[in-house]
Parts: sequence; C-alpha cells; structure tokens
Amino acid sequence: MKVFRKRNKDFISLILWLLLLIAAWEIGANIVEHSKRSPENILPHLGQIVSAVCSSKPVANGETAIAIVLHSAGKTLFRALAGFLLGAALGFLFALIMKISGTVEKILSPYLMLIQLIPVLGLAPIVLAITGDINLSRVVIAAILSFFPVAANTLAGFKAVEKEKYDLMYTYAAPRRVIYTKVLIPSSVPYFFTGLKIAAPIAITASILVDTLQGDGGLGCMLSQSLKHAMSIYVFWIIVFFSAFIGILSGKLMGWIESLVLPNLRAARRR
Amino acid sequence: MAQKIKRKQSLHQRMKNNQKFQAVMTVVLPLMFGVVLIGLWEGQVLHTWFHTDTFALPLPSRICTIFGDNFGKIMKNVKPTMTVALIGLFIGSVFGYFIAVLAALFPKLGKGGLSLIGAFASIPVVALAPVMNNWTKDISSDASIRSMVAKIVVVTLISAANMSLNAYRGLTELKPYAEDLMATYAAKKLKTFTKLRLPNSVPYIFVALRVSVPASIMTTIVSEYFAEYITGVGRQIRECIVLAQYATAWAYIFMACILGIVMYVVLMITQSILLRRYH
Repeated sequence: MKVFRKRNKDFISLILWLLLLIAAWEIGANIVEHSKRSPENILPHLGQIVSAVCSSKPVANGETAIAIVLHSAGKTLFRALAGFLLGAALGFLFALIMKISGTVEKILSPYLMLIQLIPVLGLAPIVLAITGDINLSRVVIAAILSFFPVAANTLAGFKAVEKEKYDLMYTYAAPRRVIYTKVLIPSSVPYFFTGLKIAAPIAITASILVDTLQGDGGLGCMLSQSLKHAMSIYVFWIIVFFSAFIGILSGKLMGWIESLVLPNLRAARRR
Repeated sequence: MAQKIKRKQSLHQRMKNNQKFQAVMTVVLPLMFGVVLIGLWEGQVLHTWFHTDTFALPLPSRICTIFGDNFGKIMKNVKPTMTVALIGLFIGSVFGYFIAVLAALFPKLGKGGLSLIGAFASIPVVALAPVMNNWTKDISSDASIRSMVAKIVVVTLISAANMSLNAYRGLTELKPYAEDLMATYAAKKLKTFTKLRLPNSVPYIFVALRVSVPASIMTTIVSEYFAEYITGVGRQIRECIVLAQYATAWAYIFMACILGIVMYVVLMITQSILLRRYH
C-alpha cells in the first residue's frame, strides 16, 4: 500500500512536468506564430499536429498523413525488430561462449569494447554498399548495434554469480551443463533484459537513420522528404513525435516483458 | 615434517596457473585476432565471404594510402566534429549534473522530472537533429555557425540526460547508515550535501561519461548527416558514399574510430588519476 502511494506520487510529479513541458511548447509556438512567416516549419501548435493526424486530406500519393506515417513505420519497425532479435540472440550466444571459454573471452573482450567506440551509424552507408540490399543492410546495422549492449550486460550477469552458488553446485557434484542451465543462465536473465532495454531504442534509431540514406520507404525516408517540402511539413512533426514515442515505448516494453518473465522464474525457484 | 610433493603438472595446467602467461595472453590473443582479420581482409578472403568486391570494401592498404594522402583534409573535418562533440559533452554534463543536484534537493518534484528526462534519453537522434536545425535558423546568418549550434544542442541534450540520471543515483544511493551518521552529527542539510552526497556522486559521474563520451561522437556524426552546413567527419562519410568514393569514406570512418578511441582513453586516464583515492 505504501509502495502504491509512493508510485502514485511520482506519477503525479511526472504529469506535472509533462504539463509544464506542454505549456512551454505552446508559449513557444505562440511566440513563433507571431514573429515568423512560416511558423509550422519551426514550432507548430500541438493542436495543429493532432489535427494533421486526424485530417483525412491526402498529402501524397492519395494517402493521408497518418496513413503514410503508419505505413512507413510498419516497414521501419519490422526491420528494426528483425535486427534487434538477431542482435540480441547473437549477443546472448557470444556472452555464453565467452563465459564457457576464457580464451575466447580474452580474444573478443577488447573488440567488444571497440564496437562501442566505433560510430556504427557511420558504417551504415558502407554496410549498404556491401550488402547491396537496403532492407538487409538495415537489419544488419540494427543487429550490430543491439549486439553490444546485450552481450556486455549478459556477460556481466554471468560474472556476477556469487562464489557460494558455485560451491553449492560443486557439493551437489553437478556437471557443468547443469551449472549453466540451473544457475548461470537464470541469474543472467535480469542483466540480459538490462541489455535489451538499452538496445531496443538504439535498434529503432539505426533503422530510421538507414532509411534516410536511400529511398524505398520507411520513416526516415518520409522524414527527409517532408523536410524538403515534398509533402506536408506536418508529416515531419508526426514522425518526430511518433519516433520519440516508439523509442520510449520500446524501452518500456522490454521492462514489461521482463516483469512478465521474471516472476515466473522466481516462483519456479521457490517451488 | 610433511614434505611438499612436487607433482608434475600438464602443460595446460601450468599455463593456466601462470599469472604472467595469462597477462601476456590478454594482450597477445586479441592482437593475433586483429592481425588475422586484417590479413583476411587484405587477402580478399573477406570479400569472397561477403560476396563483394574491392570497390565496396576497399583493401586496408588502400585505405591507409588514402588516409595518408588526404590527411590535411581529414584533419580539417576533424576540427568541427571534435568542437561540437566536446562543447556539447561539456555543457550537457554540467547541465545534467545541475539538474541531478536540483532533483536530489527537491526529491518530491525531482523524481517525475527525471523520469521525463529518462524518456528524453531514448528519443532517437534522428528525430532531434532536424528539429534543432529548424529551431536554430535565426541564431546567425552564417550557415556554418547556426548548424554548429544546432549540432551542439543535440549533443548537449543527449549528454545531459545521461549525466542527470547517473548523477542522481550517485547523489541519492548512499552507503547504508551514512545518512543516519550525518544525522547523529546534527549536520546541516548543506553540510550533508557537500560532505556526503557530492563525494559519493563522483564515481557515478564517470559511469555517465563512459557512456556519453562515445555517444557524443556518435551523436555528432549523426546530426552532421542532417546539418545544413556540409562539414565534419560524419558528413564527409556520407558525401563520399554519395559520390561512390568508398575508400575515402573508409578513411573517414577510420578517423571516426580513432576519435572515439582517443577520447575514451583520455577519459580512462583522467578517471584513474582522479579516482585514485577512492580505491
């Protein structure tokens, strides 16, 4: 009950800040409206954006603004998801291999550091040139970017297992395979999810960014087109808000999945 | 008197227990891997694996030649990128720390504000960069200055979000009973802050920086893609790709990696000097 009240309080202060932000935006929009020739390029009223979402007027190819956004979002998010799943799976696998073999860990751990320092988004055009296929390159880049946080966090999870747990397993004379399936992998799951929470927004950013490099639909492509005034500028604003929303949501979604997965594990352990 | 029996161990065992050997291997093994990788690349084995040619994936030797030939031009593009990344990182980190201090002083309001900032941190850079370009149109009539300001603002926001979240943890997640101890000393709130909370937050500052230093370079490069004024390492990567000069693009990517690594190494050295008394 006390926890509930505390969370409620945080929620109220969050709402307060959100209202403040909206107020600041609207004040800014009012100032811009009176001082600029084309205010919708700089800071439109939130109401205008909402009405652009709801309007049924076609903006390009006979499609409404929201239809274009959702249509291209579908493509972008699908590629982001494919890359994310691939990167997360590989990240977990590599972390496991690095835990099993110390030699492999020694070989790969500096490179795991390096991947983080290399601006992989700068590699986007190169990957495009190598794969030759825009869809494949988007998936590959999203996968590379989600790989690192997942691998690093999962490995940290494997390493965080207390010595007492190993000792207990040794007294049970448990074979290595059992130690992995019963101790190491279950206790790495929370760390794995920490990695996923970091990786999910990154995968989406990567997918949108690669869109802007070459046509063939997708959110980023529409973003740059509407910036060049090839279609209504409101498409740009809708995409900005939409991608911000998706970015935030993807992280929250991982937290939600985690809370679905972990109580089960805890209950299973108690039994 | 039990005499120690010296049993002959297998070579594998002896290698495993020899600290010096293990230390050498931590350096040698990754180096060997790198050399093999570059060898495969130079020997065009990677090209057969990826079904590509030396045009899209130029040989390392060619990239190095181009890097050497265009060194002056590359350095000219490094300057704006580093300026943006460093200024943005600095302003953002100071600003983010300031937010964290405010949030720690007024926790009732601060927590909600921080969760909003946490949400900001996961906004894609691609959404932020064009908006900032629009907002900074009036700052200067000079395109190079206003697009630089736009880029700096984006980097600032990203680093501020990162720093405020971490610094807040440092300011509030204290050692158990440390706060009670200060209370038994009848310490004023300000004293508790300067003697307990501020020192406690220092390692967390470096945790934040370890994420935001590479992120600041990455963010600069991405916002250069969208910037009005054509300059910087990131923009040159894109321009070279558009012109299908892949080898030159690789030279710029190489430079971007060096920038990231150098900044990270500088951070690590600073950390080991400043945090010496913490360990």
